[in-house]
Amino acid sequence: MEEKNNEQVVENKPVDTEAPLDKNVRLMSPTQMVVRRFFRSKLSIVGLIMVVGLFIFSFFGPMIYTQWGEIELDESGKTEYAVSTTTYTVNGVEYTIHQTTEKSLKDNFLSAPSKEHILGTDNEGYDVFVRLMYGGRISLTVSFIAVFLITILGVILGGVAGYFGGWIDNLIMRICDVLMCLPGVPILLIISTILDASDIDAKYRIYLLMIYLTFISWTGTARLVRGQILSLREQEYMVAAEAMGYSTARKIFKHLIPNVMPQLIVQMSLSLGSMILYEATLSYLNLGVKAPYAAWGTMINIISTNQDVLQNHWYVWVPAGICIVIAVLGFNFVGDGLRDALDPKARR
Amino acid sequence: MEKKNKNYLTGKEIRAIAKENAQIMRRLEAFKNRICDESEFVTTMHDDANILEIEDLHTYFFTEQGTVKAVNGVSYNVPKNSVVGIVGESGCGKSVTSMSVMRLIQGPTGQIVDGSIRFKAYDYQRDEDGEPVADENGEYRMEEKVYDIAQMPIHEIHRIRGKQIAMIFQEPMTSLNPVFTIGEQLDEVTLIHVPDATKEMAKEKSCEMLRLVGIIPENVYDRFPHELSGGMRQRVMIAMALAAEPRLIIADEPTTALDVTIQAQILDLLQDIKKKIDGSILLITHDLGVIAEMADYVVVMYAGKVIEKGTVFEIFQDPRHPYTIGLQKSKPTMTLDDSAELYNIPGNVPNPVNMPTHCYFKERCAKCTAKCSGEYPGMVQVSPTHFVACHLYDEENANG
Amino acid sequence: MAKVIEKTKELNAQYGEKQAQYAEDFAKPFDTEAILEVRHLRKTFPLKKTMLGKVTKELVAVDDISFKLMPGETLGIVGESGCGKTTAGRAILKLHEPTGGQIIFNGQDITHFNSKQMRPIRKQMQIIFQDPYSSLPPRSTVGGILSEPVQVHKIVPKAQIKEYVLDLMEKCGLRDYYYERYPHEFSGGQRQRICIARALSVNPKLVICDEPVSALDVSIQAQIINLLKDLQKQMNLAYVFISHDLSVVKFISDKIGVMYLGAMMEFGTKEDIFRNPLHPYTKALFSAVPNPDPTAKMERIKLEGDIPSPANPPKGCRFHTRCPYAKDICKCQAPAYTEVEPGHFAACHLLTEE
Repeated sequence: MEEKNNEQVVENKPVDTEAPLDKNVRLMSPTQMVVRRFFRSKLSIVGLIMVVGLFIFSFFGPMIYTQWGEIELDESGKTEYAVSTTTYTVNGVEYTIHQTTEKSLKDNFLSAPSKEHILGTDNEGYDVFVRLMYGGRISLTVSFIAVFLITILGVILGGVAGYFGGWIDNLIMRICDVLMCLPGVPILLIISTILDASDIDAKYRIYLLMIYLTFISWTGTARLVRGQILSLREQEYMVAAEAMGYSTARKIFKHLIPNVMPQLIVQMSLSLGSMILYEATLSYLNLGVKAPYAAWGTMINIISTNQDVLQNHWYVWVPAGICIVIAVLGFNFVGDGLRDALDPKARR
Repeated sequence: MEKKNKNYLTGKEIRAIAKENAQIMRRLEAFKNRICDESEFVTTMHDDANILEIEDLHTYFFTEQGTVKAVNGVSYNVPKNSVVGIVGESGCGKSVTSMSVMRLIQGPTGQIVDGSIRFKAYDYQRDEDGEPVADENGEYRMEEKVYDIAQMPIHEIHRIRGKQIAMIFQEPMTSLNPVFTIGEQLDEVTLIHVPDATKEMAKEKSCEMLRLVGIIPENVYDRFPHELSGGMRQRVMIAMALAAEPRLIIADEPTTALDVTIQAQILDLLQDIKKKIDGSILLITHDLGVIAEMADYVVVMYAGKVIEKGTVFEIFQDPRHPYTIGLQKSKPTMTLDDSAELYNIPGNVPNPVNMPTHCYFKERCAKCTAKCSGEYPGMVQVSPTHFVACHLYDEENANG
Repeated sequence: MAKVIEKTKELNAQYGEKQAQYAEDFAKPFDTEAILEVRHLRKTFPLKKTMLGKVTKELVAVDDISFKLMPGETLGIVGESGCGKTTAGRAILKLHEPTGGQIIFNGQDITHFNSKQMRPIRKQMQIIFQDPYSSLPPRSTVGGILSEPVQVHKIVPKAQIKEYVLDLMEKCGLRDYYYERYPHEFSGGQRQRICIARALSVNPKLVICDEPVSALDVSIQAQIINLLKDLQKQMNLAYVFISHDLSVVKFISDKIGVMYLGAMMEFGTKEDIFRNPLHPYTKALFSAVPNPDPTAKMERIKLEGDIPSPANPPKGCRFHTRCPYAKDICKCQAPAYTEVEPGHFAACHLLTEE
C-alpha cells in the first residue's frame, strides 16, 4: 500500500500493512446491538410481553373462544325477584307485608362469573370476557391507525419545516402553536354532537374521531422531526451530500429520514399508549364506540350511570380497566426500552 | 433477520460474554464498595523518592463485545517534583491510567482488575472513625501516609481526590460549571478541602491562585465561565487544581483544545508553575512537541502497555522501540525536508478486544523478527533509567 | 451596541470604497490555466436583524481574500480558530453563498450559480472534513456510501459500479471486505480514508481539505498525508488544504496563506513564507509550535492575550492588540495588502513604511 524508500529506517517492509488482527476481530452487528440493549432491561421485556399478550388475546382470542359473539345476547333467561314492602297500621299495630313478584326476563344480564360466562355478563346480557377481546381489537386498531396517520403527517410537515426553513418553517410551526392551544375535549364534544345529528353508523364514528385526533396531535411528531432534521442538517455528512450535488429529494429521503427513524419509532410506541387512553376516554364519555359494539372505554362507561354495577358487579368493568392499564404500560415500557436501545449516543 | 456474517458475533457468544461479565463485575463492585479498616489500603513505597508508583495495573472494560483491556499491566513511577509525560495514540490507555489513579473509571463496566497504585499522601492524622485529629491549639496534625489507591474502597477516595491529586481536563469549555461564577467554583475547593475554612480565607486563597496563573483576580472573580475565552478558562482550571495544594497534578491533554498561540501561553504557564509548586505533574498528551518541552521523564504507551520509558533525552535522542522511532519520524516538523515522503507507521492500532499473545506492534513493525511471533516481550533495561519492551534488545539484557 | 453598529457601517463603507477598485479587478479576464481563482472573496453572516429583516450587525467571517490555484497544486491556509479558514473553504464550494467577490472555477464564474447550475460542477470540486465521525452517514455501509455518488453522477455504467468502487477503495488503502461494513466499526484513520474515497469517487479536479488530519493520531496523520500526496500525483488534483497545524501545511503545500480574523495576513510560496516570514503574526505562529526536541530551547515570540472575537474585530490592523511591534498607526488604520516581493503578499504597516 505505502511504498517506502527511506532506507535508513525501514529495513524490511512489514508483512501485512493492515493488521490481520483487525480482520479477526468480531463485533456486534448494529441490529444485534439494538436487540441486546433492548432485552437488557427487564422492564422492556415485561412491556413486550404485555403488548404481545394483549394482541394475541384480542386478535386470536375470539377465534379460539367462540362460545359467544360480540353482540350475541345470552338469552337463556333470568328470573328476577322484586320485593315490595307495604306497611299498614291497623288498630295501632303495625303490619308489614313483604310481597315478592317473580319476573321472567329474556336476557341473562349481570350474571356472576361462572363456567358459562368466564367473567359474567354485563347489564345487557353480553358476555364480558368476549367483549373484552372484541373491545381490544377496536382499541388497538384505532390507536394504530391514528399513530400511523400522525406519523405520516408529522414527518411530512416537520420534515418540510426543518429542511426548508424560512417562511414555510414559520408557517408550519405557527399552525402547530395554534393547534396546541385548542382544548381537545370540548371540541370533541361538539364534533360528537354533530356526528350524532348527522347519524353516522356507530361503528364508524370512532374512526372519524380518530382522524380528528390525528389532526390535533401531529404537532408533537412534527416538532420532533423538525428538531432532528435541524440538528442533522448541521452534521458534516449532510454537508458532504450537499457538496456531492445530490437532489433535494435524495437528501431528504435517503439521508435525513433514515436517521430520524430511531426517534420516530420511539415516539410512535409512546404515542400508541396515549392513543389507547384517548380512545378509552372518548368511549367512556360516550363519544366513541357505541353499544352494541364493544370497546374498553364503553365497557367502563356503565358505571357512570349505574351505581349498582359499580358497587356490586366488579366483573363488568374492572377487567376492561385492567386491559387499558396493561396496554398503556406495555407500550410505554416498550417505548422506553426502544429509546435506550436506539440511543444514538451509545453507538460507535 | 440479518444475513449470516462471520464478522459478527453470534447470539450465543453474546449471551456467554454477558453472563461472564455480570459475574466479574458483581465481584469487583462488591470489592469497591466494601467497608474495611485503613490498614488494608495503607502500604509503603518501594522507592522513597517517588510520589506515585503504578505497578502492573490492569484496568478493563467489560463491554458487550468482549473485555477491553484498556490498561494491561502498566508500571511507571512519578518521582517527587518532576514532570512525567505519558505519550501515545488515542486508545492506548494513557487517559484510563490516570483515571484509574483518580478512581474515576465508570463502573460497573470499567474496573481496576489488578495491580497497585501507591501514592504518598500528606494527610491528616485520623482517629478510628476516620475523622481528622486536632491538637490542643486546634491545628490539625499532618502525617505522610502511603495509600494503595487500587485497594481503597470508593467511599474513602475523598482522602486523596482533589486534595492530594488534582486534575486538569482537556475541554476547558465543559469542565467548569456554567451556573456558578469563577469565584464560587474556586472558593469551593478550599472550603471542601481545608477543615474550618472561612469564606474570607477561601477568597483570599482563590485570588492568590488566580494571580499565580497570570490572571488579575478582580477581572474574573465574579464572572461566569461563558464570559471567558478558552485559554482563560484553562488558566482557571489550573488555578482550581492548584488551590488545594496537591502533591500531584494530572493534566490530561491540557492544551489539545487550544490554538497554537494560546497553547504556547499555557505551556509557559505550566513551566512556570512547575518551578513554583512543591509537587509533581503527570502530563498526558499525544503531542510529542509538548512532551519534549515539558517533561523530565517520558512513558510511551501502546495498546494498553508501556513499551518504552526513560528520561526525556533518552526517549527523544536515543529511542529504542520501533514504535517510538516511527512516532517521532512520522510527525512533520518545521525543519523537516519535505520533498520526500513522510515516514509513516502502516496499519492501525489493533482493536482492543481479543488482543494477541505476541507483541501488539508486530503487524505494524518494520523490524520484526521470528521471535516476535512468540510471547509478549518483557521490559529490557538499556540504561539505569531507560526501559524498552522489544525483542530486539533481548540480547542486550542477557549480556548486561 | 451603537459602537458595534458604527463599526459594521465603517467596515461596509470601507468595502464600498474599494468597490471601484474591485470592479476593475472583477472585469479582468479569467486565467484560463488556473483551476481556481478567487478574487476579493467576502462572506458575512447576519448576527442581528430588525423586524423587517434588515441586518444591523454582521459577522465578517471572510474579508477580502484573493488567490489563484493551478491544477495539481496545493494551497495551504493556516490560521487559528475563528480566522475564517473553514468558511472560506465552504464559500469556495458555494456551500455558503458568498457575500461578495468572485469565484472562478475552471474558467467559469460560478459566484452566482444556483444549485441546479452547480450540480454538474459539484463533481469537479469536493471536500474532506475534519471530523471523520460525523462526516459519514451512520446508517449506510461503506459500499453504499461510496457507490451513491458514482450512481448519481453516472460516472460509470451501472454494472461496473461495484468494480469501480472496489478499485477506488484499494487506491485509498481500504480492504475489499470493508465494503459490507458500517462506518462505526472503523477507527478514525480508516474513516478518513473512506471520506477521501468518497470525495474522489466523482473524479474531482479540486479538493478542499478542511483540517483532514487534525482529529487523527500522529502515525495515522502521516499515512493520510502521504495518501493525499500520492493521490494528488496520480489524479493531478488541486488541493486547498486548511489546517491550524503549521508543520503539516508546510509538508503538503506549494503556496501558503496565513489568515487571522477573517483576513489574509500573508500569502506566498512555501519557500517565501518559511524562509522569510514577513508578518509578525506568521513569525509568532511559527515560534509557538512546540518542537519535539528537548535540547532545542528556542526563543519564543510571545503573543499576549486572546484572539479577539471575529464578531467584533479590533479597529485598524486586526492584529494590533496582540502584536509585539504595534505602533500608533496600527491602531487606527488597516494596513494594505501589498506585494512585498514578487508573489509574496503581506498586510503590515511595518513593511510598507520604509
